[in-house]
Amino acid sequence: MSAAPESKKMITDVFVEGARKGWGIGIGSIIPNIMMAFVIIKILSLTGFLNVLATVFGPIMALFGVPGEGAAVLMAAVMSMGGAVGVAVGLLNEGALHARDIAILAPAIYLMGSTIQYAGRILGVIGTEGRRYPVLFGICILNSLMAMFVMNLLV
Amino acid sequence: MKTDDQEKVSIGAYITLAFAVVFFSGLLKSNEWYGVFDFTTLNGSFGRLMKDATGGMAAFRGVGGSGAADGFLFALGLVPTAMFALGMIAVLEHYGALKAARKMLTPLLRPLMGIPGSTGLAIIGSLQSTDVGAGLTKSLADEGELTDTEKDVFTAFQFSGGALIVNFFGSGAILFTLSDTTGAAVPGSIGLALAVMFIFKIVGANIMRFYLKTIDKKFGEQAITAEAN
Repeated sequence: MSAAPESKKMITDVFVEGARKGWGIGIGSIIPNIMMAFVIIKILSLTGFLNVLATVFGPIMALFGVPGEGAAVLMAAVMSMGGAVGVAVGLLNEGALHARDIAILAPAIYLMGSTIQYAGRILGVIGTEGRRYPVLFGICILNSLMAMFVMNLLV
Repeated sequence: MKTDDQEKVSIGAYITLAFAVVFFSGLLKSNEWYGVFDFTTLNGSFGRLMKDATGGMAAFRGVGGSGAADGFLFALGLVPTAMFALGMIAVLEHYGALKAARKMLTPLLRPLMGIPGSTGLAIIGSLQSTDVGAGLTKSLADEGELTDTEKDVFTAFQFSGGALIVNFFGSGAILFTLSDTTGAAVPGSIGLALAVMFIFKIVGANIMRFYLKTIDKKFGEQAITAEAN
């Protein structure tokens, strides 16, 4: 949503401006998030907790064609979309998740992503009544699960 | 903000929107000439480094790394995709792709979600920035353009997958450029994921609509009190 006079901006300038935004996201979000996720996954893997996660969530995640480790991606998503992408990439790297699992999880990350943060930035700003919050969080989780189900059929 | 209901959307804007759909769909992914119309093709890949004299290959990230150091180099390799994607989005937006999308979406809002067409600008805004979407929604509600029910339904649309375009192209699109440890590439496409997410945002809004019509009606009689804070 740029300002009114869109007059004579060179297309190259427009592209560079967008790319700069991408650079900002890269430096400000992607790199720190993925780095953190790699460290967390290393901790989970060294302590054996990753296996626990796989066993506990295996049966539920199997409904969507994803191994139990995928639950870690969804848990991270609630905090931060970028963090969840980092966890997904880290688990892919470890061999705990495979290519197809990533495709199934991708839409789910965003549909329930960053909801804790957005509760303030969306619900707070709009002035949503407190008693609607649980319903709204529920809808996000439901959306994610349904999206995983559909992606499991599609890919 | 512009008063944009009567704003003209040129044919070029629709062409740009159609181009955007094709560009991110992965339909034209190829090394033939028409690959220039595909995001993944143009995004390309890093070259390989020679690992040793016997010709073993590795990307610049190397092999066998782990932890923070490996995470950093890996993440660095993802930045070009985010930059290229957001650069293209900026160009597509410049040529009116989002305006065309809004124009096409506006008459569908009532049948799809039961919210008025005046939310069109807020919807498009909310796909790029949660703050813009929430701010516009708040003012629509304050001006009486939205009833409480419509506001809650619209909020459900925004809350699931907030700022979808910027967030997804900023980080999620990267996922579709990766391969796993067996060498298999992530299936599906950016376009497919985007379509699925958009559909479920609408589904989510309708779950809220349904909830307000049925379950909430039974319990929510005393909700007439004026809004606090």
